[in-house]
Amino acid sequence: MNGAPLLSIRSFPRAIIHIDGDAFFASCEQSRNPALRGKPVITGAERGIASSMSYEAKAKGVTRAMRLSEIKKICPDAVILPSDYETYSLLSRRFFNIVRRYTSEVDEYGIDECFADITGLQRPMHMDYERIAEKIKSDLDKELGFTFSVGLAPNKSLAKIGSKWKKPSGLTAIPGRDIQKYLQTLPIEKVWGIGPQTSAYLKKYNINTALQFACQKESWVKNYLSKPFYEIWQELNGHFVFPLQLEAKTDYASIQKVRTFTPPSKDRSFVFAQLSKNIENACIKARRYNLAAEEFYIFLKTQDFHYYGLNLKLNRKTNIPVEIITAVEKIFDNIYSPQTLYRATGVTLSKLGPHVLQPDLFGSFIKIEKFQKIYSGVDAAAEKHGKHTLFLGSSFKAHVLPQHAADRGDQTARKKILLKGETVRKRLNIPMFTGSVK
Amino acid sequence: MEKHFKKITKFYSARKRLPSYREMMDIFGYKSTNAVYRLVEKFVEAQYLHKDERGKLSLGKRFNSLKVLGSITAGFPSPAEEELIDTISLDEFLIGNRDATYMLTVSGDSMIDAGIHPGDIVLVERGRTPKPGDIVVAEIDSGWTIKFFRKSGSMVYLEPANKKYKPIYPENELNITAVATAVIRKYKSV
Repeated sequence: MNGAPLLSIRSFPRAIIHIDGDAFFASCEQSRNPALRGKPVITGAERGIASSMSYEAKAKGVTRAMRLSEIKKICPDAVILPSDYETYSLLSRRFFNIVRRYTSEVDEYGIDECFADITGLQRPMHMDYERIAEKIKSDLDKELGFTFSVGLAPNKSLAKIGSKWKKPSGLTAIPGRDIQKYLQTLPIEKVWGIGPQTSAYLKKYNINTALQFACQKESWVKNYLSKPFYEIWQELNGHFVFPLQLEAKTDYASIQKVRTFTPPSKDRSFVFAQLSKNIENACIKARRYNLAAEEFYIFLKTQDFHYYGLNLKLNRKTNIPVEIITAVEKIFDNIYSPQTLYRATGVTLSKLGPHVLQPDLFGSFIKIEKFQKIYSGVDAAAEKHGKHTLFLGSSFKAHVLPQHAADRGDQTARKKILLKGETVRKRLNIPMFTGSVK
Repeated sequence: MEKHFKKITKFYSARKRLPSYREMMDIFGYKSTNAVYRLVEKFVEAQYLHKDERGKLSLGKRFNSLKVLGSITAGFPSPAEEELIDTISLDEFLIGNRDATYMLTVSGDSMIDAGIHPGDIVLVERGRTPKPGDIVVAEIDSGWTIKFFRKSGSMVYLEPANKKYKPIYPENELNITAVATAVIRKYKSV
C-alpha cells in the first residue's frame, strides 16, 4: 500500500461541486404548503410505493420504494401525496437556472442533482470556492424554499461524496489535502459508480473502504479491474477524469416509458391500452429529438411485482406508434395471461438513431411517408392544444379512464385548481403556493 | 417572408448550396416556377439573396446578418424586429426574478381595499427581503396569508387592507416567505 498519490494535490486544481436537493419531491410539496412543514410527507401515492420522503418520514423509518400499507403501519401520521411531476420539473428547471447564474458549466445529472464546474471563479467573484458554493446554496435554499446539500472537491466522484457527507443542508468541501480523511471511513460500496458486484469483488482482496481502494497500486487496479474503475480510482486520488456533460440531453441511448395504474387490472383491453399509451408517449419523445428506434422491449408488471417482457425488432427505425403497436399486438398474448393482475406496463425504445426515411422495394415507403405527415399534424396539435390532443384508438381506455381509479378525488393539489384560461392539459408554468390562503 | 426564407437557410445549411428554382417549388409547395420567381424577387429586394446579370442566385448581403442576433431568434431581423428589441413581453413586465416567482390565488377579502380580490392571482417573489409597505405572503398557523408588511419602531406586524380585520402582531417570529410583485385578474379565459 502506498498513500503517496493522495498527498500530491493540495487544494482545488479543479473546483467541481455536486448539488443534491434534500428529499426533493417531498420538499417541493412542503415548500409550497406550510401545513406540511414538520410533518412526515411521502410522495408516490399513485404508485402505491414511496418515491420520496421528507426527513421527518425518514426519521420514522420510511425508506424509498416502501409500500404504502407498510408506511401507514410504521408512520400512522404520514401525509401521502400523489406525485406532481409537473411542479417538480418546474422547480428542477429553476434549480439548474440558479446554478447557471454562476457558471455555464452545469451537468444536469438528475431531476434533483447536478454537477457544476466553478474553476477559476474566485478572482472574478472575489470569494474562495467554499464561499461561492455557499452562495449558490443560499440562493437555492432561499428561492426554492427548501434545502440543498453541496459537495466541493477536485472532481465529480469526490464532490458526490461531499454532498452526501452531511445531509440535509450540508456543505462539505474536500480539498486535495483532506481527501484521505473522507475516504478513510467510507465503505467502498458508497463510492459513486461502484456497485454491489464490484464491491463484493474488492472485498475479496480485503478492500473495504474507499481509502483502501484509493491506496492500491496503479498497476494492480489496471490489471484487476476494468477501465471505469481505474477512472474512479484516479478520481479518488484527486485527479479530474470524468468530464461534465454540459449539453442538455438531446441524445438518448434509450427512451423508456413506464406507468403504474391502480387498481391492478386483468382486463386485456385496458392493459393493452396502457401499453399502447406508453408507446405513444415514448414515440412523442423520440420525435421531439428526431430519433427513431429499431428495437423495442415491452413488459407487463404483475401485482406481485414480477415482470414479463419481450424484445422485438423491426426491419428499420421508426418513431411512429402505429407501426410498433401493430407489431406488439401480434405478440402481446405471449406475455399477457388473463388470470393475472397487472399493475404497470412499460416500453423501452433502443438502438436509437437519427430519423431518416429510406425508400424500399415494396412501396411501404409511401405508407410511412403518409404516417409521418399524419404525425407531424398530431405533434402540431399537441403543441397547440396540449399533449394527447390526438391519440390512437388502441390507447383509448388508458386515456378516458383515470390512471388511478381509487384516488379519483386525490389529484395533485395543483391540478385541482384551474385558472381562467388554463385547460386540463395546459397550465401556467409558474409553481403555485397551495394550502389555505387567508 | 422571414418564415419562407428560413426554409432556404435550412436547405443551405444542410446542402451547402442554394436550391434551384425547381427545388424551391418543392420546398414551398408551389405549383409553378413563376410563383417561386416572384418570391425570389422579394428575397433579392430584401437583400437576402443576390442575383447577377445572368440571373444566377448567390447569398445576399443580409443572408448571414442574422448571426448578430443569434440563431435562437429563428428568423431574420427585419427593421421592425430591430425596433422591437427595446420592448418587453407581458411576462417580463410582470416577473422580475423568474426563478423565484410563484403564484397563489387569493381567498378572502382581507386585502380588498388594496385592490386584491378573492380569486385574484398574486405573483410573489420568494426569498426577497420585505420593505415596510410591501405586500407580503407570510406563514401563519400552517397556512399562507397576504397582508401589508408594517414596521413601528423595532416591531414588525402584518396589516390587512380591510377594516373588518385586525392587524396581526406575531407572538414570536414573523415568517415572511415572499413579497408580492403583481396581481393578475382575468375577466375572460381568452
